[in-house]
Amino acid sequence: MTAAMPAPQLPSKPFDWPKLIWWTLTAALVGWALWGLDAKWSRLLDAPGDLWTLARLMFRDMDLGETGRLIGEMWESISIAWMGTIIAAIFAIPLSFVAAENLVPKPVAIFVRQIFNVLRAIPEIILALAFIPVFGLSPMAGVMAIGVGSIGSLGKLFYELIEAIDDSPIEAADAVGATPLQRLRWGVIPQVLPELTSLVMYRFEINIRASAVLGLVGAGGIGSTLAQSLEFKQWEVAGLALIIVVIGTIAVDAVSGIIRRRIVAGPPGTTGSDLTDDLPPEAMAAAESRVF
Amino acid sequence: MFTILTARSVGFSLSDLIENLTRTNPVIEGMLNPDWGQIWSDRTRPRFFETLQLAVIGTVTGGAAALPLALWSTKVGNSNSALRLVVRSFNNVVRSIPDLLWALIWVSAIGIGVLPGLLALFFFTIAVVSKLTFDILDGIDMGPIEAADASGATTTQRLRTSVVPQILPAYTSFVLYGFELNLRASAVLGLVGAGGIGQRIEFFRAQGRWEELWGVVFLFFIIVVIVEFISVRLRRRLV
Repeated sequence: MTAAMPAPQLPSKPFDWPKLIWWTLTAALVGWALWGLDAKWSRLLDAPGDLWTLARLMFRDMDLGETGRLIGEMWESISIAWMGTIIAAIFAIPLSFVAAENLVPKPVAIFVRQIFNVLRAIPEIILALAFIPVFGLSPMAGVMAIGVGSIGSLGKLFYELIEAIDDSPIEAADAVGATPLQRLRWGVIPQVLPELTSLVMYRFEINIRASAVLGLVGAGGIGSTLAQSLEFKQWEVAGLALIIVVIGTIAVDAVSGIIRRRIVAGPPGTTGSDLTDDLPPEAMAAAESRVF
Repeated sequence: MFTILTARSVGFSLSDLIENLTRTNPVIEGMLNPDWGQIWSDRTRPRFFETLQLAVIGTVTGGAAALPLALWSTKVGNSNSALRLVVRSFNNVVRSIPDLLWALIWVSAIGIGVLPGLLALFFFTIAVVSKLTFDILDGIDMGPIEAADASGATTTQRLRTSVVPQILPAYTSFVLYGFELNLRASAVLGLVGAGGIGQRIEFFRAQGRWEELWGVVFLFFIIVVIVEFISVRLRRRLV
């Protein structure tokens, strides 16, 4: 005869108060938002059907005669993104040297970082609104909007990169009596240059997306055609423009991705830069995530 | 080389740049004396709250939809390679459309209002969170997955017990990051008629009331910086 085994006595799980508090806070926030938003929820049911109708209007008979002009405008968008990225890099590189805690005193670094934070917070399109009255309805307004808007995020990525470098070349430079500028030139720049370039390419990918919509407010590129054709219900042009934006963006991403990998990994057959291993995962994840 | 080519394409000129920047104009003057009270005025305040509400709901719904989309685009979550390709292509197309373009598409499809703004943020969040989660899924530990397979787990059980727990902290951090982006994006949705504080910004722009415009823009983005500061702290603790 076998006696029934007593059920094992498990200690009860400790109650997870922080978790409860976080969930309650989140739920309250969502509840407040749902209750407060006058979104005409009944229309949500029609939304997929409406999108389908729009897609049929846009893609059924596209005006292929416009392809050449639209590709030209997409090229203008790409140009705006590239010029803006270059301008941003020119300002962000020196600023990031004075934002890195291993190169300058902490108060200076913190002050410069606040400039980055403020610039990062303002969307390019708002900056474009500000630059249009200055430069007129021209691509230059778009270039300046992208340029100023990217200084913050590029600067942030750069100083995170610089703070992760190896200190010994700097010490070596100091030991042989380098001036601050020489120290930067021989101790810092050689270490960060490949990743710096790679981050600039990342930012270029994001800026393509931004410059494609800058035309909405008249700052050049394909966005203005897109916005106007949608507004005036020229569906056959809008559909084609949308397809060109999507293909253009994916193509630039692909090319830029290849260049980036080549820059960071070095030519085929070499072991590649050893800096990538030293870069904190946080910085890499941040770099990746900036692709939006 | 490429720089020169693109410079010609946009008509870049340094002398014009300096000349234009030094000329006085009402926009810059407005920037220097912003009207700080505007954001609490009776007509701007509701739009301001609307922006916050849009960002919250867009993030929660989009973040929730992004998790399965990210899981289904990997081998561990989806053994059907054709279906995997479909999900991946969907994610790629969603990702190549910028936030404001989503808003424009939805405004064209269902008319102006808050709902198109919400749908735009929904898709924008899917784009951000599913891509980041997908990248994390590449590097997860295969041990727990093998263990789940060895004990005969179904795909859902395998995901539930050995994949999701591994990526949950990172995923939560990505959703928070998505919220930061959405807050910024929701401010400009109104420019195309998709609700939020952007409507007021567009209104002041059309009327040339630059003091009010900059007051609203500066205060809103001070709030964005504060939210970001909190969110970055939270995310550091998670990962």
